[in-house]
Amino acid sequence: MRQELVQLGGSAHALATQILGNRDDAADAVHDAIATALARPGRYDPQKGSLKAWFMRVVRNRCFDMLRSRRGEGVPSDEVVHPGASPEAAVEQDQQFAALRRALATLPADKREILVLRDYMDLSYAEIAIVLDIAAGTVMSRLHRARLALREAMNSDDR
Amino acid sequence: MTDNRTDNKPHVDEQVGELLTGYIDGELTQQQRQRVEMLCESSEEAAQLLEELKALRSQLGAAPLTPYGEDKWRESMDDTTVRVSRGIGWLLLGGGALLLAGMVVAALFMDPEIGGWERAALLLIYGGGAALFGSVLRQRLIERKTDKYKDVEI
Repeated sequence: MRQELVQLGGSAHALATQILGNRDDAADAVHDAIATALARPGRYDPQKGSLKAWFMRVVRNRCFDMLRSRRGEGVPSDEVVHPGASPEAAVEQDQQFAALRRALATLPADKREILVLRDYMDLSYAEIAIVLDIAAGTVMSRLHRARLALREAMNSDDR
Repeated sequence: MTDNRTDNKPHVDEQVGELLTGYIDGELTQQQRQRVEMLCESSEEAAQLLEELKALRSQLGAAPLTPYGEDKWRESMDDTTVRVSRGIGWLLLGGGALLLAGMVVAALFMDPEIGGWERAALLLIYGGGAALFGSVLRQRLIERKTDKYKDVEI
């Protein structure tokens, strides 16, 4: 399990960044999720789905715990709007990815997370349903709406 | 099937759009796939939307959404292992010390050769030691909880 969690760390961080809107908080969330997964490996039931889906759900739950606990503190709005923004990103040569990140940042978190789960992590619809705790039949429609919203946001960015 | 609008974006009804999404994700049945292929042959808008969605998907799939590689999470895991093993170590050490202290106290009361005053003096020494240890431990635990600079690396 250790090696698999190490490999899933990057994807988990991408998901957590889209939910929390901040790379450092996202790294903390992934760190906590790894600790939880290692402390209670028995909670993972291979019969119920892949380790990837289970671990992403652990990460997502940890992110929501963090959001709940920081609700009272207030979140700097620029971090939520520009989750990918960083000094490195500012000098990044690839304008296409920068435009994509800007467009993603304008979407609500539920759309960002489903896009990352499918298009970035390549999870199946059944696995996405496990992670998001939704009916498998609703994944396709949610994903389609998210893709249309991303396309719209990218078109707006071009204008 | 498709709306007639004036802008240059493809407008395809929602149900068909969802099928296009399922098609590029490989989540449709054979029958649904054939339906999408026929639709795209007959509708330019549907074909255009399919291409746009495919392009978006591959763009997002290749996007660098995290700056961290596997080393970051390997370190994180090692850190967790160190913390867990340290916790187990402290637990064993504390348990052993408590057991030893209990045995000493029991021996004090059971040994007929130890007089009453000696027994009282030894108990006071042990009691004092335990109180001092408890006080230092409590202080360290409070500091650990409240020290905002505890994670600063020097």
